[in-house]
Amino acid sequence: MNDGKEENKKTFDPFEPFRGIRDASFEAMSKAMIEAVNSESYAQATGALLDCYLTASAPFREALEKSMTQVLQQLSLPSRQEVTNLAVRFSNLEMRLDDMDAKLDRIANAVAAIAATRQPPPAEAPTRGRAPAARRR
Amino acid sequence: MPETAASAGPELAFEERLRRFNQVVTTKAPIAQTPKEVVWTLNKAQLYRYTPVVAAEKRHRLPLLLVFAIMNRPSILDLRKGHSFVEFMVDRGFDVYLLDWGVPGPEDKDLKFDDYALDYLPRAIRKVKEISASEEFSLLGWCIGAIITTIYAALFPNDGLRNLLLLTAPLDFSDRENLTFARWTDEKYFNVDKVIDAFGNMPGEMIDYGAKVLKPVENYVGNYCKLWDNLDDPAIVESWHSMNTWVTDYIPMAGAAYRQLIVDFYRKNLLIRNRLRIRNQLVNLSNIRANLLNVIAKGDHITPPCQSEALLSKVGSQDKLIHHVPGGHIGIMAGSSAHRTTWPYIEGWLGARSR
Repeated sequence: MNDGKEENKKTFDPFEPFRGIRDASFEAMSKAMIEAVNSESYAQATGALLDCYLTASAPFREALEKSMTQVLQQLSLPSRQEVTNLAVRFSNLEMRLDDMDAKLDRIANAVAAIAATRQPPPAEAPTRGRAPAARRR
Repeated sequence: MPETAASAGPELAFEERLRRFNQVVTTKAPIAQTPKEVVWTLNKAQLYRYTPVVAAEKRHRLPLLLVFAIMNRPSILDLRKGHSFVEFMVDRGFDVYLLDWGVPGPEDKDLKFDDYALDYLPRAIRKVKEISASEEFSLLGWCIGAIITTIYAALFPNDGLRNLLLLTAPLDFSDRENLTFARWTDEKYFNVDKVIDAFGNMPGEMIDYGAKVLKPVENYVGNYCKLWDNLDDPAIVESWHSMNTWVTDYIPMAGAAYRQLIVDFYRKNLLIRNRLRIRNQLVNLSNIRANLLNVIAKGDHITPPCQSEALLSKVGSQDKLIHHVPGGHIGIMAGSSAHRTTWPYIEGWLGARSR
């Protein structure tokens, strides 16, 4: 990939003579396949296949989950559900922190805005050493 | 004279070709290389700010936030150096941010469009405004990202959104004849609750299969033939490698969001009919008043043009435009001609409205 010299040399391709035939058949194949996957029967077949898989695997999934939960409980380890619940709580906390961050920003901006309006114009600026009027209050 | 693979005999040369093919197919190319920093995070989501390369006084005043789909990596927007939309916009003086939704874990299976549009996106936007010191901003939503940005634009019309760009936006699901996904996910054949109950989140491999099988010959055979035929062309190999790296990086979709996509969008078509409720708030598209550019890919088989065209008549924007681009769902932004067609058009439209 990174070796430019290596990339530029022409390598032998035994399939090259057949490219024309391949490309000519591609278009027809593509059209036929697109038509097939767009049909109601394809939708029905894939739906049935998926449903069949989910129905057949459900008892195994449930049994595995049950036994895994029991094993983890025996070993005093948290289950997948407990870890998931913890992660959800972390996300909620993070969101609360983000809200607080937003509120703090708003407060800081409001304070800065008030300070800016209370500052006297530059022409009437107090002499060096005197605190500005806003600060003296 | 050193012996090259080609002069060493056909067997060796063929072996060399096969080795190179295998290397490209099985390795990852460096993608998403434009310099950036993470400026905000929430759960798995991250907000990136791309390092500006244009002086602040010459930059566009409005920041641009990019929002991609929730079931693919957003690195497609920053594919590779010299062929990256992000890099293109940064070079032209935009302050670019990108919201990466991250990879949902089992704990995120209950995340819905409600959460993305009301909790994540507004918070990311707040951060964009804070960093850019601009009360106004532009939003670009692509694919499912366009659904989220449209919902946001309708629910927060006074939040400072000046420009809304939608790319291949699946918003209207009424033309069921032209929507293969609608046929596959029809309630007659597809039990979405059973799938989500079994998997929690919708597995990335299943989403990828759904997208690829729309054009099975092109995606499962033609794509690899293209690489094989062009192994001696470094430019084509590099482009193929980076695209394949992105395509094969599957991520799952949060279960509740997937269920909502199938039921509320594909089956009930609630959004375009102004009947979608997001946490009990009605999403009324006529509330959208931002300048709107709706980019539609003429050859899009994932989001056919009929899914995006109705939006213009529904929004309240004065400045609104549909732009049709030749190419497919991803090709319009990441294809070999995107830097000559789609990107300059977006830059021109947005630049004029970002002062």
